[in-house]
Amino acid sequence: MEPESTINILLVDDEVKFLAAVSDRLTIKGFNVTTATNGEKAIEAANKGGFDVAVVDLQMPGTDGAQVLKILKERHKFIEIIMLTGHATVDSAVECTKLGAFKYLEKPYDFDKLIEVLKDAYHLRMQKKFENNAKRMDAIQALSMGQSPLGILKALAKLDDGNK
Amino acid sequence: MDNGKDLFGYDSLAFFGKVNASISHELKNVMAIISETAGLLGDLSDMASNGTPIKPDMLKSCTGSIMEEIQRGFLTIRQMNRFAHSVDTPLESVNLMDVLDLAITLSGYLSFSGKAHLTPCKDRTPTASTCPFLLQAIIYQALVYTFKSTGPDTAIRISLQAQGDAAWRIIFSGFNANAFQKFPDATTRAMAESIGVVFHFDSTINRLALEVPLTIESTTTEQVAPGV
Repeated sequence: MEPESTINILLVDDEVKFLAAVSDRLTIKGFNVTTATNGEKAIEAANKGGFDVAVVDLQMPGTDGAQVLKILKERHKFIEIIMLTGHATVDSAVECTKLGAFKYLEKPYDFDKLIEVLKDAYHLRMQKKFENNAKRMDAIQALSMGQSPLGILKALAKLDDGNK
Repeated sequence: MDNGKDLFGYDSLAFFGKVNASISHELKNVMAIISETAGLLGDLSDMASNGTPIKPDMLKSCTGSIMEEIQRGFLTIRQMNRFAHSVDTPLESVNLMDVLDLAITLSGYLSFSGKAHLTPCKDRTPTASTCPFLLQAIIYQALVYTFKSTGPDTAIRISLQAQGDAAWRIIFSGFNANAFQKFPDATTRAMAESIGVVFHFDSTINRLALEVPLTIESTTTEQVAPGV
């Protein structure tokens, strides 16, 4: 993925080794990843702006993932948020959905699944962002099929280029 | 089922489930780190196959991380096994340091947990004839209340004092008094009453003491955890 069409990911988890491994893998795939080890740092990082998608662990000490989700959705209009959890419950899934989470993934998950969900989340972000731009919306729709998730992400990022 | 082995009621079962859920959460985190780090090794191998030079330190770091997480997983499973066997015998002579150590370890798996420092008992071995499962449930609840009320930066100090030949006192200190405004809840109180544990809370010095009788022979096996 070219530098000018990088997708900016905010990755939040209190498990430092998990954070490092996922961050490295996403970076290898061409994403621009910023990490935060707790909710407070995540909110602080997000305030600087520029994130397309956040991947947030639900259970963290202090400001937990649900609080981070609520604050980020309130303050950042187009950000999409994927929640991660090691302890999935129906209640927490419903709560996260009500707060506007894009998806709820249970650890350990398949990395390809994360890429697929990132693609869908970024796709939705683009649709919301360009809903009044018919030409760009047509282009976004045309990208929905026939490519690998990474291929679609790369093409979507090019469409978004210069509009961060 | 043998007499004395079917005495733990719904609340004990709920506690058992809650602790097991926190252990499984810990194990899922371990598995997630191993999975992602192994995946990273695969990504690096693919890059190397395509001619990108990979630093050996990165590979060492990945394998080291996997080994550490495997050890963390083994340790967690060992604690899970200790916890599982704590219901084997409703009444037995236990070393209170062992019960405290397990309760502290189990509470450490909660996302909001802080630190708990246990001071070894040097004078003599702190043994008591009690129900280890219920005693650890009470200690666990005390830790949960403290951590929930005072946050992950909490550092609780726990020590043991002999109360003559009749009881041991487990003393919790180093927390905010507000932590125990609603402690013990009805369930924990019922558990404590069933094994003769008495709560002493001194808000002026931020100290909670659990008085554990040396023996609960006066409480028959059938009376352990009535309605609990």
